[in-house]
Amino acid sequence: MTSPAEQALLEKIDVLQLPGPTARVEAIRERFIAVVPEICVERAQLVTAAYKETEDQPVILRRARALEKILDNMTIFIQPDEIIVGNQCTKPRSAPVFPEFSCKWLEDELDRLEKRTGDVFLISEEKKAVLRELFPYWNGRTTNELATALMTPESKEAQRRGVFTVGNYYFNGVGHISVDYALVLEKGLSGVVAAAEAELAKLELTNPAHLAKHQFLTAVTAANKAVIRFAGRFSALAADMAATEADPGRKAELLEIARVCAKVPAEPAGSFAEALQSFWFIQLVLQIESNGHSISPMRFDQYLFPHLLADKAVTAEKAQELLDLLFIKFNEINKVRDEGSTKAFGGYPMFQNLIVGGVDREGEDATNPLSYMCLQATANTKLYQPSISIRVHSDTPRALYEKAAEVTRLGLGMPAYYNDRFIIPALLSRGLTREDARDYGIIGCVEPQVGGKTEGWHDAAFFNIAKVLELTINDGVDPLSGERLGPSTGELTTLATYDDLMAAYRKQMAHFVKLLVISDNAVDVAHGQRAPLPFLSSLVDDCIAKGLSLQQGGAHYNFTGPQGVGVANVADSLAALKKLVYEDKAVTLAEIKAALADDFAGVAGESLRQMLLNRAPKYGNDEPYADDIAHEAALAYCREVEKYTNPRGGGFQPGLYPVSANVPLGAVVGATPDGRKAGAPLADGVSPVSGMDHSGPTASVKSVTKLDHVIASNGTLLNMKFHPNALKDSQGISNLIAVTETLFNGGGTHIQYNVINKETLRDAQAHPENYRGLVVRVAGYSAFFTSLDQAIQEDIISRTEQMF
Amino acid sequence: MTLRKRFQLYAPKAAQAGEPVGLVSDFQRFSIHDGPGIRTIVFLKGCPLRCQWCQNPEDMLPRPELLYIRNNCIGCGKCLETCPARCITADGPHGVAIDKAACRLPECGACQAVCYANAITICGRHLTVDEVLEEVELDREFYDRSGGGVTFSGGEPFAQPRFLLALARAAKARGLDTAVETSGYADWEVMLPVMAHLDTVLYDVKHMDPQAHRRLTGVDNARILDNLRRVDALGLPIRVRVPLVPGLNDGPENLRRTAAFAAELSHVAALDLLPYHRMGEPKWGQLEKDYPLRGVSPHAREEVVALAALLEGSPVRVTIGG
Repeated sequence: MTSPAEQALLEKIDVLQLPGPTARVEAIRERFIAVVPEICVERAQLVTAAYKETEDQPVILRRARALEKILDNMTIFIQPDEIIVGNQCTKPRSAPVFPEFSCKWLEDELDRLEKRTGDVFLISEEKKAVLRELFPYWNGRTTNELATALMTPESKEAQRRGVFTVGNYYFNGVGHISVDYALVLEKGLSGVVAAAEAELAKLELTNPAHLAKHQFLTAVTAANKAVIRFAGRFSALAADMAATEADPGRKAELLEIARVCAKVPAEPAGSFAEALQSFWFIQLVLQIESNGHSISPMRFDQYLFPHLLADKAVTAEKAQELLDLLFIKFNEINKVRDEGSTKAFGGYPMFQNLIVGGVDREGEDATNPLSYMCLQATANTKLYQPSISIRVHSDTPRALYEKAAEVTRLGLGMPAYYNDRFIIPALLSRGLTREDARDYGIIGCVEPQVGGKTEGWHDAAFFNIAKVLELTINDGVDPLSGERLGPSTGELTTLATYDDLMAAYRKQMAHFVKLLVISDNAVDVAHGQRAPLPFLSSLVDDCIAKGLSLQQGGAHYNFTGPQGVGVANVADSLAALKKLVYEDKAVTLAEIKAALADDFAGVAGESLRQMLLNRAPKYGNDEPYADDIAHEAALAYCREVEKYTNPRGGGFQPGLYPVSANVPLGAVVGATPDGRKAGAPLADGVSPVSGMDHSGPTASVKSVTKLDHVIASNGTLLNMKFHPNALKDSQGISNLIAVTETLFNGGGTHIQYNVINKETLRDAQAHPENYRGLVVRVAGYSAFFTSLDQAIQEDIISRTEQMF
Repeated sequence: MTLRKRFQLYAPKAAQAGEPVGLVSDFQRFSIHDGPGIRTIVFLKGCPLRCQWCQNPEDMLPRPELLYIRNNCIGCGKCLETCPARCITADGPHGVAIDKAACRLPECGACQAVCYANAITICGRHLTVDEVLEEVELDREFYDRSGGGVTFSGGEPFAQPRFLLALARAAKARGLDTAVETSGYADWEVMLPVMAHLDTVLYDVKHMDPQAHRRLTGVDNARILDNLRRVDALGLPIRVRVPLVPGLNDGPENLRRTAAFAAELSHVAALDLLPYHRMGEPKWGQLEKDYPLRGVSPHAREEVVALAALLEGSPVRVTIGG
């Protein structure tokens, strides 16, 4: 920070004394949290009409026409006091419907949406009737149905029995991306159109390959122009509203909105307000084009900063207010999921991850005043979106670290902390250039990638490592269904040594990871064939240059990232078998197998369970015995995954995080040798098994560093819960930083803290009406606690309180 | 309670020639309210006081003890068969009764070895200085980053003076920040040598009135207050700690006298009011002892704040919770 402009900004904005929420921000926030989510049918009507009109067209053009139809015709509105405008649905927080990905489940669950236990949506009988009329058209035309047709029976059976799920992209858009927002701010969408037109001009249409490029680039041009028209509709609306506005102050604001929306995102943004509005149109339309979630702004403090720096007119107070208003807008985006998915993704999450700090492309600290202001915006708005994160490196300013810790103390479960020291090498090992690796951000929960040039397919699957262990113990036969799912790797009692057991586990692992890859690639191909996304593709390198959509391999970097879930359960199970069976010979394999089959029934079963629980080492207690096994158990998964490639020409890379899939995936696994009873939730991310981390948070952190987080380059997740007392003063802040730094020095890549106490959560369960605004961290994101399914609430509460 | 697995199974140690061995009941890592930064507390077993509100009653007696946690008991009956002295009998469908008079602790401990449910545990291990410090060293990185270290507590750590001296000396030699949490009820002759190896002293002042002190703790407070003056004279940073027990020592008069006493000293960093809590109560039952304060409710947060407000004029900084 040395240039005169930067010096002037620092004099204007005191990052240690940022403004609190204004009355406008508080009023808009209050209005927002009172809204109950509804289902909006408008998008479904428009997309269906567009598809019916374009059946003779190539798919990429049909997608562009559909986007045009929606953006030109959907209801738009400007809410009282709003400055940043743009809506996804007929009402804030309503969820649109995306029948092109799948709609059978929605048809089946229409009557359940209002009645289900978590993520409730209101829907009238009239709207249900509208949807019921539309759905038959989509029969056989969805990405979901094509993906199913591409899968093998074996891989479908493995999914059915809970070995893994590819549910997210199987039923929805892919999302999980960060576009080149800086490009839009600097060149405008007219710049994107110009780039596409330049490529079009280069095509030689006698070359058959160029025909497809021509279609793609034509679709890109049409989609971008549709977005520009969409902004123009807001400009016209604002001008109309200004004409009848009595309050002169508001009238001036509406006229300014009209001016800004006429300019951006078509043209380069100038002022800070223009840049925020331009950004928001992009963020919004990406979530109208597809319902893939985790559309992540990533390094917002970097690409927005030039506009703050150059805006001499904006005051510190106004800039903070604008930012706060944008942060509230993030929360208006919503998505309806099937009831099963709400168990794994509870709390209406959209995972729009915005990250501050870290190093720049040259490796120097990138912190700027906007980094602090983003953290302040989270403190001011106290909502669950955007998912705010901070990158930490060895020269992160202490003041930024402390600012982040102060936000942590608010108990929103944010920010999440990410470690440059190990994430950058992880990305280098996946082929990113040095500069790109340093420029990473986070997608969704915890997945690192470089923005604007990656199709990371980060949430490819949840893979149930504990189920693989259960199948190993049962020689490949699923004890719940009696079906053989895997190869025969030896009856448990014939596995004479621990090495024999591990060899069997690895064989089962190899088998099921193969089935996982087949399933993921089937879904991937289906998206390429049925739902290429021209607008999204146009903002990601190298799609325009290659003339190829993102879904068909247009991105510069391509990955597929499936997550392993249940590492700690497998580690504790293997440790118990190794110690108590193979070493101490305190119990036989036959006894264990019988007890597992009976779910530890009877006094003898319970006694054995207690032995497994209390007489074997447990991962998470800073004891090498179990921690080393956890390392091996996770590696067995990661090494298999990274062998494979996807249809877009990129590699598979493993992650170790569950979102909240540890609950449903646990429900399909019988009793395990760690003493876990049948159906109980699996451990969360790389965290120890709940209640088994008896040695406190420092020991947990040291155990977690024993895993190889670098190979798990799709992200690892460590949740830690602190009592608010633990952070009450500056010493508490310093302690929090010490915990984070020890984890990060030792090789961890992510940590997030829940700062809330059990009593508060119990009271919130009993009196949800008093806690409508209570935000808690659920695995990789934050959500309104009262909107969560009770099982997830219980899981959060039962997590070991990190008391003092 | 955070005893690591390898210390959980009771294994009485033969006294080692020449090497100091102490009786340790537990370690608590990530302790953040007992001295600066992130700390590990070493609980040394044995205490000359009998405070009615004691939250670590298992640390009163200077010898290993059986704790029986009825809630953990699954009624498997293994201990009945295993006990060589036959001092355990069935007591109801899911429980046992232990005749402690016939129990052969500390030589035995067989029942605990077969109690997989950890219903029977044995509190108190004989550990060497190196064994204790090996555990303490595990969190070295956290201490270095937060300004933390090791706190010797109990029980009364000065009740094992030779072991404490060896521990504190060895900890300092390893470059660890050291603190002690004491009632101050010990011979100054045994306290003094340890002081050279301490960075902070957390010093309880439970009541200013000698009779009340004797009634509540079993001992007089004259020696405690004398020793506190002596510690102060050495120039060590002190935190005076008042366990704030409803109806017993929370009167305005006692608090004002405590603050006045602290104000006379030169090196009191803060006076910490430690609000009473009931988390120790179950352990009295596990030891088959009656909890003297059964039914006493903790202060409400506002009451504690009001009591702290009484001391607002004091030159000594007053904190709640330390």
